Amino acid sequence: MVTASRVLGSAFFLSGFEVQDAPRYGAERRGAPTFAYVRASRTPIRERGVIRHPDLVIIGDDSLPAVPVAGVMEGVSAHTATLIHTRETAEAWKHRLNLAGPVMTLPTSEEVADDTDLPFVGCVSAGAAARLVGVISREALVKAVDKEIAPFGQAAVRENERRALQAYERMAAHAGTVTEGVEIAAAGYDAPEWIQVPFEEARISAPAIHAAATSVQVKTGAWRTMRPVVDDTRCNQCWWICSTFCPDSAITVSAESRPEIDYDHCKGCMICVAICPSHAIDAVREQEAQTKEPEGP
Amino acid sequence: MNDTAFKRMKDLPSTHLLGTGTPMCAGCGGLSALHEIYDVLGPKTVFVNAAGCMTLLSVYPFTPFRGSWLYTSMASAPAGAQGVRDALDILLEQGRMPPEEDLDVVTLTGDGAAYGMGLSSTSSAIERGLDFLYICYDNEGYGNTGHQASGATPHAAKTTTSQGPGGFRGYKKDLFSIWAAHEPAYVATVIGSEPLDLARKIEKAKSLKGPRLILALAPCPTGWEYEPADSIDIGRLAVKTGVWPLKEYVDGQVVHTVVPSPRLPVEAYFEKQGRFAHLFDPDRDDELLADLQARVDRYWAAL
Amino acid sequence: MTRELLTGNGAAAWGARLAHADYVPAFPITPQTEIIETLAGWFDSGEMPGRLVTLESEHSMITAAGAAAATGVRVFTATSSQGLLYGMEMIYAVAGWRAPFVMVNVSRGLATPITLESDHSDVLAARDSGFLQIHCATCQEVLDSILMAYRLAEDTRTRLPVIVNLDGFYLSFTREPVEIPDPDSVREFLPPHDPQNARFRASAPASQGVAVLGGSPYSYFRYEAHLAALRSIDVYGEVAAEFEAAFGRRHDAIDAYRCDDAEIVFVMIGSFATKAKAAVDQLRDAGFAVGLVRLRLVRPFPVEDLRRVVAGKRGIAVIDQNLSMGKGGVLHAEVASTLYGRPDAPPILMSFIGGLGGRDISPEELYEIAAETRKAAEDGRTPPPRLLYTRDELREIRKLQVIAEVERNELEPGQ
Repeated sequence: MVTASRVLGSAFFLSGFEVQDAPRYGAERRGAPTFAYVRASRTPIRERGVIRHPDLVIIGDDSLPAVPVAGVMEGVSAHTATLIHTRETAEAWKHRLNLAGPVMTLPTSEEVADDTDLPFVGCVSAGAAARLVGVISREALVKAVDKEIAPFGQAAVRENERRALQAYERMAAHAGTVTEGVEIAAAGYDAPEWIQVPFEEARISAPAIHAAATSVQVKTGAWRTMRPVVDDTRCNQCWWICSTFCPDSAITVSAESRPEIDYDHCKGCMICVAICPSHAIDAVREQEAQTKEPEGP
Repeated sequence: MNDTAFKRMKDLPSTHLLGTGTPMCAGCGGLSALHEIYDVLGPKTVFVNAAGCMTLLSVYPFTPFRGSWLYTSMASAPAGAQGVRDALDILLEQGRMPPEEDLDVVTLTGDGAAYGMGLSSTSSAIERGLDFLYICYDNEGYGNTGHQASGATPHAAKTTTSQGPGGFRGYKKDLFSIWAAHEPAYVATVIGSEPLDLARKIEKAKSLKGPRLILALAPCPTGWEYEPADSIDIGRLAVKTGVWPLKEYVDGQVVHTVVPSPRLPVEAYFEKQGRFAHLFDPDRDDELLADLQARVDRYWAAL
Repeated sequence: MTRELLTGNGAAAWGARLAHADYVPAFPITPQTEIIETLAGWFDSGEMPGRLVTLESEHSMITAAGAAAATGVRVFTATSSQGLLYGMEMIYAVAGWRAPFVMVNVSRGLATPITLESDHSDVLAARDSGFLQIHCATCQEVLDSILMAYRLAEDTRTRLPVIVNLDGFYLSFTREPVEIPDPDSVREFLPPHDPQNARFRASAPASQGVAVLGGSPYSYFRYEAHLAALRSIDVYGEVAAEFEAAFGRRHDAIDAYRCDDAEIVFVMIGSFATKAKAAVDQLRDAGFAVGLVRLRLVRPFPVEDLRRVVAGKRGIAVIDQNLSMGKGGVLHAEVASTLYGRPDAPPILMSFIGGLGGRDISPEELYEIAAETRKAAEDGRTPPPRLLYTRDELREIRKLQVIAEVERNELEPGQ
C-alpha cells in the first residue's frame, strides 16, 4: 500500500497539486497489516500525521476490516468513500460495515494463488483512486506509475501501467465520487475531554508486565492469507518436525501424536508445509478455509 | 634482523624528540616506552588520545609533541583516528593537500581504555582496516584516577578496588590475542626496558600499512608501589621471569622476539612491588605464589 | 532547480549532497537511516566524491565527525534520540573543539519506554552542549536549513557545529514537494570548506582538544564558545538574508504568523507548527485574534526577536513536545526566563505539554488551548501546566494494564 500512496501522491503532484504522502509504520513485519496515506490540495498542506477524517479509504485486503487493531474503519463518516479489493459485492460490504458513504469494489485477481503475492494491488488501487478523485488524467497516472515503479525494471513498469489504467477505466462510472472534506471549524467544535492525568505509584505506572505469555492475546492468525491444513492420513507422526520448526510455537502435538495448529496465531508462513517430510500439510487459501470453518479448531 | 636500522644499542638515538617538561610521574614506565617510540615514529604524526594518564601530556598551553595531537574521549580514540585518517585521505585524493603534508595517525591509550571501554572502537577500527598505529601503555590499572582495577590488572595484584587478602580476583585479559584474532597487519608487545626490541618493532610497524597495534607494559611506581629508580629493573624482571612475553603477530604467526632462558621465578618480579607485598607479608602465600608461577609456566610450556 | 516529492530524510540527503559534504561518518537508527542509505548510494555510485564510513556506535560516529572536521574537511552526519544520547559525551566534546560541521537529528521520543515516534526531548537534551540548533517544519526547510547551517557553522565568528532537526515520521518518512536548488547556485551561496586553523598538517603541528587545568583558563574557553553561540544570531540573520536573495525563501530565526494584531499567541517548534497555522486561520475565522510564533532557532535562543514579537500580547500558550522530568516543558522555562521582568511581557504564560512519542495534537485541542489561554487572560491568572491527555486515552491504558496484570487496589469510578 506504500506503492499505492506513492503512485497516487505522484499522480496528484504531476497534476499540479500540493501533496503529502507517507507510509504508516506499525508492526512492520512480513505479513502484518500496513497502511499509508495521501493528502492532496491546491494550497500548501498544513495537516500532519494520520488522516482522521478520510475522504477515501482503500482496503487492499478484505480480511482487514475484521481485524480491530488494523483500524481500517477509523474516522470513516458519511462523507467517506470506500474502495475494497474483494470478491464480494459493494452492497454486501455496505451492509456489513454499515457504511453511509459510497462503496466501490475492485475484483481481486483470480489467477494469483496467494493474496500476499499480489504485486499490483498498489498500482491498481492508485489507478482506481485517480479516477475516483476526478482530477487526475490518464497521462498523469501513467507518468506516476513510471516514476515509482522504475526501480523494479521496465517489465514491471509496463505491467503496472496496464493494470492501473484498467482500474482507472473500471471506475469510470464513479469518477469524481471522492470530494474534498472540510477542516474542523474553531466555532462549535467538540471540545477534547481533557483530564488531569492521575498520579499512580510506580508499582502501577512503571512500564512493566507482571504476567507471562500475554502475547497469546494477540491474534496474529489475522495476518494469514494462506492456511496450513494437516492431512492426518498422510501424517507420519514423526518426531514432530512441524512443531519444532514453527517459529511461532503455533503447532503442538497431541497425546495421540497428531499435530494441532493454533489458527488463532498461525501467521501462514508455510514453513510447516515446506518442511513436512511426508508432504502431509496442504496450503489452503484462508478465505476458502474460513468458508469451510466448521472443521477448524 | 638484516634490514633493521637498530642492530645494536648504539644505533639508538642519543638525543630525543619528545619534549621534556610533562607532568608524568617521575620514573613513569609508560613515558619510558613512549619517548623511545616517538624517536622512531618522528614528528610527522598526529596522536589521537584516549582518557588516561597521558591525556595530561598536553595541558594548555603545553605539549611535548613536535607533531600534532587530538584528545577525544576514553572510549573512542580509534574512532577519532578514523576521522582524522579519512579526512587526510580525502584531502590527498582530491589534491587539496600536498602529499608531504600527510601525517601518520597514532592512537595512544592506557590499558583502561584499551582493555575495557575502548575495545569496541578498537575492534571496529581494525575491522574497517584503518591504516593507523595503536599504542597502549599498560600499567595494569586505571592509573590516572588512582590505580583502580581494570581489565588489565593481573591476578592477585592489590589495587584501590581490590584491597582484600589475595588482591585482585580476576585475571589479566589477553588483549594481544583478542587484537590478533582480528588478523590486523601487526601486533607486538614491547617494554621500555628493552629499547632495541622496541625500536625494531616500531620500525617494522611503521613500514606496514593497515591496523598495527602495540602493547607496552608500563611499570608504574605510583600504582605498583616501588621506588621510581627501579622502573627499568622491574621491566627487565617482567621479561626475565616470563611474566611479560615479548612477541609479535605478523603474517598470521605469533613469534617471540625474546625467550628468557633461564626463566627466573616470578617471585623475583613480585617481591619488588608493593602491590604484591601481601604475597610475602606478613606470611608467604605459597599457594597463590605457586598458582601464579604455574600460570606463567603453562604459557611458556605451550609454545 | 527541480521540484520533486521528497521525504524529509530525502531532503536531508540532498542538503548534504548539495553542500558537497566530504565525509559522512554514519550509524543507523530509526527514523534517520534512509538519510545515510541515500548518501551511501551516491558515494558508491560516484555521484558524490568523498566517503561514508560506518562507525560502530554514535559515540564513535560523533568522535569521527569532530576529528575529521578538526582535520579540515566538510563533515555531515545524522542521528536520533537514543543515538544522540549515546554520543552525548562527544556532543559536548566536539563542540568545544570549535571545528564546525552539520548533524541532522531526526527527533524521536526517548526511552523509557523505548519508542520510535517523534517528540523533542532528544534534541533539546543537547541544548547546553555548544551545538547550535535549527528546527524545521517542512521538508523544504530541511534541505534549505542544511545549506544555511554550513554557512552558519563555518563562519569565522561562529565555528561551532550545528544540529538541524526534523521530526521523525511526520517529516522524515513523509513526502512533500521540495525545490532542489541547482548546484551552481548552491556553490555561490556556500563556497568550499575553509578549515582556517583547525587542521592537521605535517608543516604546522597543532594540539587540539587539549586538557586544561585551572578554573580560570577553563572558564575562558567555555565563555568564548558561549559568546560565539550568542553572536551567531547575527550571523544567522545575514545568512538568512543571503539565502532569500539566492533562492527566494526566507527562513528567519522566528517564524511569526498573524502575530501583529494577535491577543494570544501559540509558541512552538517543529512540524506540528503547520497544524497550528491552520488552527490560527480557523480561530481567526471564528473571531479570535490568535497568532503563532515558531522558533526556528533554539540555539542561539532568539531572545530579542521573541521579546519583540510577543510584546503587549494578552497571553502566550507555549506548547512543548518535550518533558523535563520534575520541572515541565523546556521551551516554557526558556520563554519565561526570556520575558521575566520586561514591562511589555504578556501577563499570562501558559504551559501545555503534548505530542510525546508522536501523540497527535488535534485541531480541537489547539482550539481548546486557545480557549483556555483566553480564559486565563480574562481571569488574570495563569493555571498550572496541562499535560494533554483525554478520558478515552486513560480508558485505553487501563485496558492495557489489565492485560499486563498490573496490580490495582481498586478501580476508580469511570475507569
